[in-house]
Amino acid sequence: MFDKGFLEQLRQRQAAWTAAHQGSFETEVKKEFVSEAGVVTRRLYTPLDLADQGVDYFEDVGFPGDFPFTRGLSPVGYRAGLWKIAQYSGQSTPEECNALWRDLAAAGLNTVYAAYDLPTQLGYDPDHPMAEGEVGRTGVSLVSLRDWEIAFDGIDLGKTMVSTVCNAPGALVIAMNLLTAQRQGVDLKTLQGSSQNDILKEYTSRGNVIFPPEPSMRLVVDTLAYCSSVAPNFYPITVCSVHQSEFGANHVHEVAFALADGIAYVESAVNRGIDVDVIGPGIMWTTSHDHHAFFHEIAKLRAMRRLWAKIMRGRFKARKPESMMCRLYSSVGGTSLMKEQYLNNIARSALAALAGALAGAQRIDLRTYDEQWGIPTKDAEITNIRCQQIVGYECGVGETVDPLAGSYYVEWLTNEMEGRFAAEIEKVDQMGGTLRAIENGYIKRTMLEDAYKYQLGVETGEIPRVGHNMFRQENDQSRPVRVYRADPSVEQRRIEAVKELRRTRHDREVSRALKGLRAAAAEPATADNNLMPAIIEAVQAYATIGEMCDVLRDVWGEFREPKVF
Amino acid sequence: MGTRVAARRIRVLLVKTGLDGHDRGVLVVAKALSRAGMEVIYGGLHLRPVQIAKMAAEESVDVVGLSSLSDNHRALVPRIIQELKTVGLDDVLVLLGGFIQDEDVPVMKAAGVAEVFGVGTRLEDIATYIQTHVRAG
Repeated sequence: MFDKGFLEQLRQRQAAWTAAHQGSFETEVKKEFVSEAGVVTRRLYTPLDLADQGVDYFEDVGFPGDFPFTRGLSPVGYRAGLWKIAQYSGQSTPEECNALWRDLAAAGLNTVYAAYDLPTQLGYDPDHPMAEGEVGRTGVSLVSLRDWEIAFDGIDLGKTMVSTVCNAPGALVIAMNLLTAQRQGVDLKTLQGSSQNDILKEYTSRGNVIFPPEPSMRLVVDTLAYCSSVAPNFYPITVCSVHQSEFGANHVHEVAFALADGIAYVESAVNRGIDVDVIGPGIMWTTSHDHHAFFHEIAKLRAMRRLWAKIMRGRFKARKPESMMCRLYSSVGGTSLMKEQYLNNIARSALAALAGALAGAQRIDLRTYDEQWGIPTKDAEITNIRCQQIVGYECGVGETVDPLAGSYYVEWLTNEMEGRFAAEIEKVDQMGGTLRAIENGYIKRTMLEDAYKYQLGVETGEIPRVGHNMFRQENDQSRPVRVYRADPSVEQRRIEAVKELRRTRHDREVSRALKGLRAAAAEPATADNNLMPAIIEAVQAYATIGEMCDVLRDVWGEFREPKVF
Repeated sequence: MGTRVAARRIRVLLVKTGLDGHDRGVLVVAKALSRAGMEVIYGGLHLRPVQIAKMAAEESVDVVGLSSLSDNHRALVPRIIQELKTVGLDDVLVLLGGFIQDEDVPVMKAAGVAEVFGVGTRLEDIATYIQTHVRAG
């Protein structure tokens, strides 16, 4: 990238500069600036650092929209329009969510990032004994197509995208999304939106699992294959790194384990005889980009994009560029925010939005200032949408594509991160892949070590947190004016709604469809045996998530977690 | 509350309440208590109150640490405490951690929770609390 004569001259001048400023270096507040993942940040970066790493502009950096996509997926970036603004939100019932999502859409939301309650995420209807005390608490209870019809009444799914955070029954939720859109008159060939549907990270980071890994993987592959022909612009999976990060994984482990999960999904599809270029374009990523270690977050996402492109082309022999594109649905996790002096969180969110934009994310989603106090209020969610709009429209961050490219520091860090991701993936590969590393507890144990280290870092003050371990306010009385809390009557109302549904639908159609689902699930997974048509039929007959999951639980059994402690 | 005397190393059962699977907090606490010299049993996910009590009795623990993030504690914690009594664990030290609204703290204490450790708690404070209230024999 730089000619030899220039580098030699630079080496000499840099040595002289270093010698001349020894005294100043002694005033530095720390001996070493080292990240949680152990990356040491040097005092200064120059072209020498890139030359030492062997960074090549054409091979490693390249042009926006071209392989290896380090500089982004699009040749014009945000010059063709801002990233899509998302907001993780969901309150209690389909009716309440409908009102909330209409208001957020009016405020400029492009993507309803739907937060589900735990019973729905675990395949229990509101009247199941396991659901007691949990209905509508962490998000919305949406268990049937009827609930979807209510929740999205008057919200055009052709314009406002939906992304659902519901993983174990992800395939069932996708069916509800497709059918609701179709009933609204949206052509499924043009339908956008996505589903989280990343079960592997649930085994290690979030715990919302129902079935053992193998049938769970089968459901994911089925959605990828099905949507590629029925709804080619819909992303049936967003492979997550944000939850690994929220579990406490450092930057390197977070992304490496997510990429290893991505590899497992593609491998599983390919092993079933499905072409990599059929399922590759349907994969999106939910990454984390909080405001901590700002440049690390940006370099991390650039490196991730580059490495995924190489994996898809190198390991899986993908031919379509769309299969190699690592689309970033970049999220911030609640653990990056503080309970104390909660309004400071708005500054944190704005910085995180900037990090996502500088990393070239396709969608950005932030956490709210009241996140440490409860489920977000609508006011706080609208403030987040405004944060993104201020960063996007007022800062001019998108006027040039990938503005940080060429920064000696950012390119060095991008390269450093990529190398570390690859080394960690290699370790998982040698263990026999991500499923083995989940089963033997390696992934969770590794992340737990990181989480413990982080906690001690915050407690000793080594990791600075304003208002928490520095600049604390004595007798801090600040608390949000309003804190959202689910109405205690929600559980009863939801139980009545599901009973009403069961009374008014056609029982015979439901039983026939559930029987069909059972038969298809009992057959082995092949390239031709896709469960989605059977799921679509059951959803269309207004079968509930609980009923469909009961059938699948019956056929496949339930997962038992390995001991990591 | 008086000091409970444990027959041996302090034994602690840590468990998540209800359906929530975010176990980072509880696992980090498990690590800290174990490093502070306690015997820690981690119960895992998705246990019903009766299963938690059964496990506490079988493991004859001195402390039951509950972790709630999904706002299910109002419904589940009193039930768990009742089940503990049913299996004869009247004097076990019940602690609650996680995401607990301020207004819930007195409600939880009235239900029989000895102490609530909310967002921002230091690991050391949890260990010290246990060591003050349960003396290893």
